[in-house]
Amino acid sequence: MKNSAVLLPKRFILSVFLIAIFVWSLFSVHWNSDLLHTGGWPTMLQILKGVIRPDLTAEILALGLKAAWITLAYAVTGMSLAILYAFIVGILASGTLTSKTVSRLTSKIFFRGILGFTRAIHELIWAWLFVAAIGLSPYAAILALAIPYGGILGRIFADMLNDVPQEPIMALKAAGASKLQILIYGYLPLVWADMISYTMYRFECSIRSSAIMSFVGLGGLGYQIQLSLADLKYNQVWSYIYFLIVLVLLIDGWSNLVRRGLVERKRVKGISIGWLSTLLSVVLIIFSWVYVTEDVHFLELFSDKNIQYAQRFFGGMFGVGNPHPAFFDKENWSSALKLTIETLEMSIMAIGFSTIAAFITVLPAARNIANGDLTLTKRWYNWILFGVVRVLYIFSRSVPELVWAMMIIFLFKPGLLPGAIALALHNFGILGKLWAEVIEDMDSRPIRNLSSSGASRLQSFYYGILPRVLPRFLTYILYRWEVIMRTTIVVGFVGAGGLGMQFKLSMSYFQYTNLTLLLICYMVLVVIADFASESTRKAVK
Amino acid sequence: MSSKTIIEAKNITKHFERKIALSSLSFTIHHGEIVALIGPSGAGKTTLLNTIAGLVPLESGELLIDQNPLPSYRGKLLAKKVGVIRQQFDLIGPLAVMHNVLAGRLAEWGLVKSLISLLVPQEKGLAMEALSRVGLADKSYESTANLSGGEQQRVAMARLLVQNPEIILADEPVASLDPARADDVLAMLVNLVSENRQTLITSLHSVEYARKYFTRIIGIKNGAIFFDLPTEQVTDDLLAELYLLKEKA
Repeated sequence: MKNSAVLLPKRFILSVFLIAIFVWSLFSVHWNSDLLHTGGWPTMLQILKGVIRPDLTAEILALGLKAAWITLAYAVTGMSLAILYAFIVGILASGTLTSKTVSRLTSKIFFRGILGFTRAIHELIWAWLFVAAIGLSPYAAILALAIPYGGILGRIFADMLNDVPQEPIMALKAAGASKLQILIYGYLPLVWADMISYTMYRFECSIRSSAIMSFVGLGGLGYQIQLSLADLKYNQVWSYIYFLIVLVLLIDGWSNLVRRGLVERKRVKGISIGWLSTLLSVVLIIFSWVYVTEDVHFLELFSDKNIQYAQRFFGGMFGVGNPHPAFFDKENWSSALKLTIETLEMSIMAIGFSTIAAFITVLPAARNIANGDLTLTKRWYNWILFGVVRVLYIFSRSVPELVWAMMIIFLFKPGLLPGAIALALHNFGILGKLWAEVIEDMDSRPIRNLSSSGASRLQSFYYGILPRVLPRFLTYILYRWEVIMRTTIVVGFVGAGGLGMQFKLSMSYFQYTNLTLLLICYMVLVVIADFASESTRKAVK
Repeated sequence: MSSKTIIEAKNITKHFERKIALSSLSFTIHHGEIVALIGPSGAGKTTLLNTIAGLVPLESGELLIDQNPLPSYRGKLLAKKVGVIRQQFDLIGPLAVMHNVLAGRLAEWGLVKSLISLLVPQEKGLAMEALSRVGLADKSYESTANLSGGEQQRVAMARLLVQNPEIILADEPVASLDPARADDVLAMLVNLVSENRQTLITSLHSVEYARKYFTRIIGIKNGAIFFDLPTEQVTDDLLAELYLLKEKA
């Protein structure tokens, strides 16, 4: 009891603090009618009409199908490379292969550093850098996906390996197994299932990332969406978005199947889900690689011309031959820092908006509330609400931030607000889904007790549900904030303000040293966000 | 005892932080002996076993295994001399029983052979023989995590059979089993050890089991040997004093 008396104010103080930050971030926007384009609303309505009436002509469907395959193929090739990278560097970063304390620590710090650096930069930035360096090659997209995803996966793999129970490992050591033998007989079998489920979860995310790769000029669903938006053909936009949603749902379903198969570990008669999935993965990987690299030779990447381009580009970024590199200029720094603060504000606004939206919708979205299990109240409209909110969530999370931003920008003038709204539109669905799962997993007995003692729905929410799910909710808010931070720069590309907008401008004006400066600011921001969210998450645990 | 000395401890000492874990222990164990270590929790039983297993380095004193100092055995060589069995957490749950048993051969195998074995089990006959000796021949391809506690402990024994060390150290091998399973596992362990002419040292929290299955009992208290006697000479008075809570000074 004494313990909770101490804990409660801590969480309370944190919540108040977070709300205060959110309110502060709102002051960065000048709230007046000047925010909107004149005639923005009618355009918005037209866009929304497309939701109900997507263009379903055979021509568009064929185009969409092909674009969906391209998007999938890039995701698969990128992920397969990412897994390879994550596997090797993740094992090295876990320090399981080194025995001496000093060498273990150095390898941990070094390889964790590599993983941290590669995941700090958003895939679209990598893509942009690669395209600028080696031109429009499929390898630019594959590498751009593989590098940050490998960083994320590798870090989680390393964490998993570090969390393995020590008893079986000691037993293998006592049986005389070498370091590598312990790895393949001990560590890997113990984390295998977790590794696969996490990879599947990330695979779903990589589909969205692959879709937005199009924005640097590589084909796929994002490219089609961009073209249709430019042509103001909103009903076509939605046809492609529907393709994206279906693709995401398919992968989501597959990943759920695989995860359930791993948990249950049952051998079904005939072929198990595991073997089918392995087979499917292999086929997908082979076909994707063949398709993507069909008429591009890997060695062409290293042609003299390409190497020259790359040298010039990266040399430019480091300020080679530039008498006044931006990162040594005080004025540039001060403007970059101003943009950094703006970007920070945008991310906070974004997570604030998502939190509010998810908070309003999360209750009906939980299955055990919809069927009345949790609160003992059955209403006929519960299932309808459940369906509506869940469909909303699916739309929200299947459409990448960048696509939301491209649509929002029709209504809002460029600035921080549209960026924040676009980020929120994508994240509230993810947040809502994660939260709903928290509610679904909770022990229902105390809530039922409240209900049977006469508490209304709202009362049992405030007294029964909220206190117990709040820590998990906070954890997810912070985790999503981390992700949003990485993405702020991307929505900036389409004119949503902050570092991203300046990044794009500098790219167009070939101000390479300025790019470096902006990237430094961006990475500092991401690292700070990572650190802040991780330490706060530990504090509320 | 005319047989040769296999373990000889001379004044071995070990501290954890400032706490004494082992204070100047000396004893001799002959080949083929079956010894139980008993004593209150925290007396140093596990530390002693870990020291003999080479998992905890010695601070002072000397520990001879088969006439040679313990540090002279490295990794794979030590595994031929000393094998360890603990509570049921020694196994890799997601692996099939077969692979967990064959892990006892890792000291002999190179990396390539151990990798291949995960796909096509190598030296399968050896594993099957061990498994049938512990009565689990029919479970060889089940996932180890699906086995009961007693069965898992028998898999760990099968691994030891395959590893075939001269000395077996068992650290509370039946701590998490119910009485029937515990009897079963201990009887089997003692039986296998004497069949293979190995030496067994087991730490136990149950005096009853120590008396039932072991020929020699070492009582440990506060990191020191309290008594070291053949089982028939261990009296109830001695045991009561061993487990007595710290006298108030």
